[in-house]
Amino acid sequence: MKKDLVAIAVVVFILVILLSGTKIQSVDDYYLTHIDEITDDSETIYISIDCKTVLDNWDKLDESLQNEKFIPAEGIVLEKSQYVLRPDDNAFDVLDRAIRHNEIQMEAVYSKGFGSNYVKGINHLYEFSCGELSGWMYKVNGEFPSYGASKYELQDGDYVEWVYSCDLGRDVGSEWGAQTA
Amino acid sequence: MGGANSMKYFHNCHPVVMFSYLIGVIFITMFTMNPIFIGISFLCSISFTFMLFGAKETVKSLLLAMPMIIIIALTNPLFVHKGETVLFFLNNNPMTLEAMIYGLFAALMLVSVFYWFKCYNRLMTSDKFIYLFGQVIPKLALMLSMMLNFVPKFIKQFKAVDESQKAMGIYSGSSYTDKIKCKFRVLSSLITWSLENSIETADSMKARGYGLKGRTSYSVFPWKTSDKLLMSYFGVMIIIVTVGLFTGYADFDYYPKITRMSFEIIPILLYFGGFILMFTSTIMEIKENMLWHYLKSKI
Repeated sequence: MKKDLVAIAVVVFILVILLSGTKIQSVDDYYLTHIDEITDDSETIYISIDCKTVLDNWDKLDESLQNEKFIPAEGIVLEKSQYVLRPDDNAFDVLDRAIRHNEIQMEAVYSKGFGSNYVKGINHLYEFSCGELSGWMYKVNGEFPSYGASKYELQDGDYVEWVYSCDLGRDVGSEWGAQTA
Repeated sequence: MGGANSMKYFHNCHPVVMFSYLIGVIFITMFTMNPIFIGISFLCSISFTFMLFGAKETVKSLLLAMPMIIIIALTNPLFVHKGETVLFFLNNNPMTLEAMIYGLFAALMLVSVFYWFKCYNRLMTSDKFIYLFGQVIPKLALMLSMMLNFVPKFIKQFKAVDESQKAMGIYSGSSYTDKIKCKFRVLSSLITWSLENSIETADSMKARGYGLKGRTSYSVFPWKTSDKLLMSYFGVMIIIVTVGLFTGYADFDYYPKITRMSFEIIPILLYFGGFILMFTSTIMEIKENMLWHYLKSKI
């Protein structure tokens, strides 16, 4: 009996550790984000999300996504909008905040080797959804950084564009995508 | 009806027919995620298991399968975050209804394949398997036959070792920790046994001259007219259903939004064909049972 009690205690301990590491939120709680008011002296950035390239590759797109709901008209998921830049914000933080503020679906995974979050899908449009060379990329002030979004520290006035490429970046004007191919 | 000891039609038909039927059905089940197809396969596999193993065994295995289905359905949302109906967020990751439904059907598919294989193992004895492939691919055939036999053999030996340990009084206390420890002990002895057993089987087969050139083997599997008819029927049905599935008439998407079931004529015919194909095995066993009872009543 003594042994059983010890075993139960160990199991309960493991469960408590697991549960203490989990955070359960309702849908409303998740999307409830505090957006700072833009004042004259606040540092700001711009962000936009688009998937215009999908419109040119409509035949390659998954049938389940061929819908106005997932691919908005003209391919603009989020129009260029202004957000307050908080200290130590990187390109991914800003995306996460903008996404929650506008209640857009997004999935990202943190990969250790990459040292950054990798955006798998935005608004139900995922990597490989439109051909095997498709996926989300970001550019800041018109240039494609060659590292992850979580590593890119933003500065006042930066313009972050999230674009969906159907051809490894070549169709959205990424130079390093063209070089590696 | 459905007794485990009465005559089985599939025991008496030619191994080629039986093998192609079961493999065809298993492959069709494995390569579709259409919920209706999976449902049909699940029901038919259970009814066939019921005909081969009897009610007690079927209910017992269903009681084991149910928690597995529930666990897979609940775990899938932890790993897949696609889908538009978000139930709640866990550590900033959405748990979606679509992922849960996908998990449910993936589990049902897994369980039905498991049931088909259970029937396969009961029907396809190793002599039949070796008869089919012993001449063409002797080494692979022996290995496959040993592998497919492994799990039932393992379970049988597990029971034997467990019972003998119980009889010897090892770890017979009432403590659950002791009981689990005892099971681990049995498992470790089982692994040794299975390694030894496979070497022994290989040695024994070698000693008999298995796979040698020019060695013939005697088989008692006549190729009857009923086998020819059944084979052509199964062949045609399997080809029709497979072609139907590959041309995309039964395509189904779970993400981001679950497809609406289309009730057009071709998909319905396809589901119907699948049902006929998969239910044939059960019908043949029912027919055989009725014949058996009829003949017995005449004695």
